Amino acid sequence: MDNLDDLKALWLSANTDPLPQPAEMLRMVKKFRNQKIRRKVIIIVIALACSCIMLWGIFFDHATMVTTYIGDVLLIISCVILAVTNIRSVKRFYELKDCTNSEFVQFIERTRQNQIYFYKKTQVIAMSVSSVGLMLYWYEFVHHNATLTIIIYSATVVYLAVMWFVVRPRVFKKNARKLNEMLERLEKISKQF
Amino acid sequence: MTDFEEIYSKHSPQIYRVCMGYFNDADQAKDITQETFISVWKNLDTFRNQSHISTWIFRIATNNCLRALEKSKRVVTTELPLNLPAVHEETQEEKLAFLYQCINELEETERIIISLVLEDLPQAEIAEIVGLTPGNTRVKIHRIKEKLAIKFKTNGQFR
Repeated sequence: MDNLDDLKALWLSANTDPLPQPAEMLRMVKKFRNQKIRRKVIIIVIALACSCIMLWGIFFDHATMVTTYIGDVLLIISCVILAVTNIRSVKRFYELKDCTNSEFVQFIERTRQNQIYFYKKTQVIAMSVSSVGLMLYWYEFVHHNATLTIIIYSATVVYLAVMWFVVRPRVFKKNARKLNEMLERLEKISKQF
Repeated sequence: MTDFEEIYSKHSPQIYRVCMGYFNDADQAKDITQETFISVWKNLDTFRNQSHISTWIFRIATNNCLRALEKSKRVVTTELPLNLPAVHEETQEEKLAFLYQCINELEETERIIISLVLEDLPQAEIAEIVGLTPGNTRVKIHRIKEKLAIKFKTNGQFR
């Protein structure tokens, strides 16, 4: 029983009945939409829509203070950073059509390293730019009313503080642990090639 | 019957068996088989006939197996206890379960390679799927067979 032909015969005797029938499978695949990249596409659309609204504001809103324009531009930059990062990610997903296992493992490794880079660098830059942008943008609309200024800026500062010091570190910690574990496993597999 | 249905009928049992070899878990094997054919359906138009369609499908399937490590639960491999007493004549199912268990103890790429060997794929095609040189593939196959032989002999399950 321990020669290869016996093993092949045993291997081929596996019951494959649990698999769906061809017609059923065809129905299933037709229902399938690109769920994996749907979230990224939504982020890209929202980021680009926000950029367009901001651009519209620059040209048609006739702001009088330079801080509003600077705020506008900074917010557009942060939206563009977000859109470009996600577009690159979707592009990578589509480029990966037919590759060997070894190329595939390298691809996932690269993707995960990019993700770590995103959390450590890109996200920090985008959040800083958008925070400064938001603060500058509000100024023209609230500066003539001291109470409104205090309320708006306090709310903005609280929101940004929560995002910076609570939400981001939590998300980063959770994702970083998962990503590092994954990279360790990927490195282990890479060594097998 | 459409092209896709024909392809599915012909290759899905092979893909399911390879996934069983990789995961030793019927549900996971079924999921990955389905995921593979969703990719096949989506990309059938772009398949450029540069390789056999079987090579292409096996690549997608084995890449999906490797990608499973990205999901939350780790692929669990169980160690076989040493010197299992052969108390009775094993049924076909028990023998197959033992084979899956032996394969499941191998490293990820070894599981893929031996599953493709058992599917009777030529070594050149296996090399194309995994991304190793033909020479390297030959050496790997030889080593995996040796490893499996040791497991069988140690456990005395197959005589």
